[in-house]
Amino acid sequence: MTQDELIEWATRIVHRADPQPHQLLEIKAESGLDDAQAAFHKVARQAHPDLHRNSLSAEQLELVTSAYAKVAGAYQDFRQLALAPRPKVIEVKGAYGTRNVPPPPPVEEPEAAPQAGGPVGQMNSKAMLHYRKAEMSLRRGELKTAVLQLKMASAADPQSKFVRIALAEVMAELAKSGG
Amino acid sequence: MAVALGIDLGTTNSCAAIATPTGVEFILGPRGERVHPSVVAFPGSGGVVVGPDAKRYRLTEPHHVIHSAKRFIGQNIRAPLVQLALTGVRYKIVEGPNQQPIVVVRDRRMTMPEISSHVLLHLKRCAERQLGTHVQQAVITVPANFTDGQRQATKEAGRLAGLEVMRLINEPTAAALAYGFGHDRQQLVAVFDFGGGTFDVSILRLNGEIFEVLASDGDFFLGGDDLDRALAELLAAECNRILRVDPRPHAALMMKLMMGAEAIKCHLSENEAAEGEIDGLDMPNGQAGRLPFSITRRQFEDLINGYVMRTMEVTRQVIVAAGLTPQHISEVLCVGGSTRIPVVRQRLTEIFGRPPNTRINPDEVVSQGAAIQAGSLTNTLNAGTGMGARDAVATSAHTTLHGVGAVQLQQQQAKRPILLDVNPATLGIGTAGGFSERLLDKNSPIPIEKIRVFTTARDNQTRVEIDCCRGENRRYDENEPLGTLVLEDIAAKARGEVKIEVCFRVDSDGILHVRAIDQASQQRQEAHLQVLGAPSVDGAEDGGGGGEL
Repeated sequence: MTQDELIEWATRIVHRADPQPHQLLEIKAESGLDDAQAAFHKVARQAHPDLHRNSLSAEQLELVTSAYAKVAGAYQDFRQLALAPRPKVIEVKGAYGTRNVPPPPPVEEPEAAPQAGGPVGQMNSKAMLHYRKAEMSLRRGELKTAVLQLKMASAADPQSKFVRIALAEVMAELAKSGG
Repeated sequence: MAVALGIDLGTTNSCAAIATPTGVEFILGPRGERVHPSVVAFPGSGGVVVGPDAKRYRLTEPHHVIHSAKRFIGQNIRAPLVQLALTGVRYKIVEGPNQQPIVVVRDRRMTMPEISSHVLLHLKRCAERQLGTHVQQAVITVPANFTDGQRQATKEAGRLAGLEVMRLINEPTAAALAYGFGHDRQQLVAVFDFGGGTFDVSILRLNGEIFEVLASDGDFFLGGDDLDRALAELLAAECNRILRVDPRPHAALMMKLMMGAEAIKCHLSENEAAEGEIDGLDMPNGQAGRLPFSITRRQFEDLINGYVMRTMEVTRQVIVAAGLTPQHISEVLCVGGSTRIPVVRQRLTEIFGRPPNTRINPDEVVSQGAAIQAGSLTNTLNAGTGMGARDAVATSAHTTLHGVGAVQLQQQQAKRPILLDVNPATLGIGTAGGFSERLLDKNSPIPIEKIRVFTTARDNQTRVEIDCCRGENRRYDENEPLGTLVLEDIAAKARGEVKIEVCFRVDSDGILHVRAIDQASQQRQEAHLQVLGAPSVDGAEDGGGGGEL
């Protein structure tokens, strides 16, 4: 594309009154996303403002940028239609009964995280912090402190069976030695 | 010949490079380092110190060393996340005009762009020393999900450092450019950018010289800093237990633990366990303390699991937003230091069913891409500049050595890469009834322009305020207000008769420009929005976002 052709194209795009997306991309009305993408890439290869920033005057560059930006908007319309089909009318929930709303795009179910082995995997990180402290206390033989820390761990993660069992065991131990 | 730098201005580290005919050349620091810490120190002895030297002052003068400035640049200080981040730094930040954060060091008040400009200036000086010429132009990278205000503030930082910022490009896009330039690839790639303070993921279609971003998302408040903090909290608890001292109120002590945490984190990327002692802790009672620690990689992984899962969740969403499934992606590029953590790579492998590409250097690839873009904008690229094209050039250089004659480097022009980046957020305007009308959707290609015609809501309305906002919500109030454009002296007519054309343009830097035209009078009001938190032009304006149309 020569510079004159570029300016002619840009002028044509900018001055098109009330344009439809396919008109800006200069493709057929019934074109799909693939055609739109090919057309947009073609425009980008020839008319992307970055390619001309050193060769055009400021005024011409603004014209080309404006035309390119309009075409980008048209391409986005095609993408929107293809990627997120949504009804044109505004939905009012329950007003006209249930309507045929397209299902949301499929979201990949996150695979279940592999169960971590060992005690650490069986509680959340906050509980683990307390549990580690309790472990240290046990090593030093401070049973009372360990019970307190395990209780905190249990409070941080009430779901954790592991913490509950550990707490019960240490409390039994404490009762034995203290009693 | 114009020289244009490519700069990766990071949260913890920055990197600069320049495209030469034989490849990308990195800008080295005073000690030959390629990676420059983004740390600015204002030591008691006076002056400003940047880079590795500044890092040393973190221990002796923690209140006068500014790090992680990127977390605050262009941010509204009242934002909850910013308030949270404030608890993690030891220097003083106060609220300035236009709700922007202001750093106070030694009675000097500085804006965040000023702080960042010191880092940029350091890089500029290193480059000038290395290249022996003036450097006036640069391409700077920003996280893909940076907002308007953050982008404007980054540009401002460049300006303050005496650089003409030719373009801001998104970090993941820059990485993809460095990977794909000069290879004429046809493929879909995912770029997973997990850095010191920000996280981004982008899906790109590479089609020859075209680099089209299909979708991009992320979190600009998630990074290695957060992982360090999680680990430092654990160390603090240990400190409290073993040494009977709560380190949290003591800045220097906590900073030492943060630095220890960072070292342990890096160690655990290579090793299964880290065991040792942090010594030289200045205890409040004046004595030196030492804190023993023993942490396994497993423990660390559990500690950071929440953060890692969040990044994977965003990754899944982005793939869906691009209209693809993980099987479509044929290459996964890892960018940013945090991607060195084995569990991050492992989770990525689980999602994509293929291990990520490990041949690229996660710290340097972004600045390489920026340098290529800078070369492209100054039109100084040639076929030898791309990564991996070095072999071809080495052969011709080799011939020269053997004296076969003056063999010129191949000067053939490379196809200039074309970046089709996207805007990071949905932009809309407030309409009557408190609704938000979407004008530009997230992930639309930039530069882009959209025009909508609006009408007045009341009879004889002569003044219209156009409130611009950012966000997906249908309710205006639940989106983030960007600023207000005022159109006055409209002819008094019945409601609905006046037609106002509103044009949203997002430029190649990702910055929004709004223009409103009253169609009857052709009165034109164009405004560059004053974004809250961004450096203000006049300092006095306090843009209110709550006005009605």
